[in-house]
Amino acid sequence: MLHELKNHRGAQGYLRLTGVPAEGLEHGCDSGIDLAYLQDQIPDLRDLSKSSQDLANDTEDLLALIELPQFHSPEDSGVSGVDPRIRSQLAELQLRPDRVLHFGQDEGLPRQDTLEFSRLEAWSCQLQGRVWDPNSLSSFWFELVNGAYGDVYRAKGLMNLPDGRAFFCNWMVSQSGSQFLPLEQLAPPDGRPNRISALVVQGKALDSNGIRSTIADCLLTDAVLELHQAPQRERQSQPTPAN
Amino acid sequence: MHHAVISCLHANLAAFEAVLEDIDRQGIERITCLGDLVGYGPQPNEVVELIRHRAIPTCQGCWDEDIIDGLNACECSYPSQLAERRGHRAHQWTDEQLSQDNKDFLATLPTSLRRGRQLFVHGSPNSQHEYLLPDMDAFAALERVETAGADTLFCGHTHQPYVRELRDGSIRVRVQSSDSSQSAEQELKLPVRRIVNAGSVGEPRHGSTKATYVIHDEDNGSVEIKEVSYDVERTCRAIVDAGLPEVFAWRLSHGFEYAERAEDASHVCER
Repeated sequence: MLHELKNHRGAQGYLRLTGVPAEGLEHGCDSGIDLAYLQDQIPDLRDLSKSSQDLANDTEDLLALIELPQFHSPEDSGVSGVDPRIRSQLAELQLRPDRVLHFGQDEGLPRQDTLEFSRLEAWSCQLQGRVWDPNSLSSFWFELVNGAYGDVYRAKGLMNLPDGRAFFCNWMVSQSGSQFLPLEQLAPPDGRPNRISALVVQGKALDSNGIRSTIADCLLTDAVLELHQAPQRERQSQPTPAN
Repeated sequence: MHHAVISCLHANLAAFEAVLEDIDRQGIERITCLGDLVGYGPQPNEVVELIRHRAIPTCQGCWDEDIIDGLNACECSYPSQLAERRGHRAHQWTDEQLSQDNKDFLATLPTSLRRGRQLFVHGSPNSQHEYLLPDMDAFAALERVETAGADTLFCGHTHQPYVRELRDGSIRVRVQSSDSSQSAEQELKLPVRRIVNAGSVGEPRHGSTKATYVIHDEDNGSVEIKEVSYDVERTCRAIVDAGLPEVFAWRLSHGFEYAERAEDASHVCER
């Protein structure tokens, strides 16, 4: 899907609908992670949540990716498989999707996602301005997705590293291994980065105190961050040798 | 005559008791311990007291040394900030729990034990903190054994049991005569040397929760690596009850070491 959006010659956009609450079930918080990652990959990507009322009047060549959160596996395919309450949200925006993909049904999306599980807890943590010790992030992620802090079914995050890079970390119980996708944009070596950074987790019996406490042990202090950034600034200030 | 070598108990009483039971069942009377009696685990006093009660000859491990001398290693000992903070927490907890009498005992432990041409150390003959990994450079490995004047070097510290034979070792030297007109090359053939790593009783790092140790047959030189099941849950409960980080219990119960080994495992801390 990312590839399709990237290669589209016209305008590109992204919209995440809010979803509909259900008894005993909790929506995973997105914390803006998907939009931030997509905007890093496609700098001109429009955040349609800010202009959704105008969507119907938008340019005809707009390709929009719309996320439709719902709890249950659809009985039908395509639009008719979408929860009627979410269909009405689309109708309010005067949107008629050209194509609807469902987790577990359509190629291009994982065969299984968290849809099969009930009574999942959702936990999230804002990490804006926070920078991880890289090896600590690796250990924490390993522990998180292998069950050290409860039965985790889904985890994703945008994490900053001290060299200015950030990674989209993505894991779901039905997939083998985690994705660690680097963002294109580098943060300058000058204090704390101001891009969106967050972690969202879904699972059962989540040990939120344990997660929080381990994260605190992984994040760099100002002094340690400066130790990483000072040599980077020095390198950048050196003149490039003439050919 | 059979001889058991144990290492890296890490205050794990259930594992230590199970290994002792396994050794006793085989009628082996001689046991040597390569240190790290304490650290990370929840029963430092009990483990030290059992070593003392059984009068097991023991050399000092890096954790035993740190508890006596204080944490003065550089951060190179840890692969990450997370591991360092957990290590420091475990150190502080152990320091608070361990009786003065048991600390005094740890302070008396020698850094090596020798029996004929067998040498027993925690890490390497150079340092309790140096890792002799199974795949380390053969020349460096041979140098450690040869300069220590040993045929067989028993070590621990890596938590991975192995037996490595160093064959076909030779040292080639060119001797220049004083009038510098001629030089002669000499090659010294070295006999087979061996490194035996006993693994870990209390914190295995070989992909399983089982405690490991080795049995050495002093008559024919054979070495057997032994794996022993023990009540891991008992130790995990003790970790949680002691107020140590609960993630230690999770890691132990899944066969993961409490803290990963440093990235550059061959690095020896310059204190």
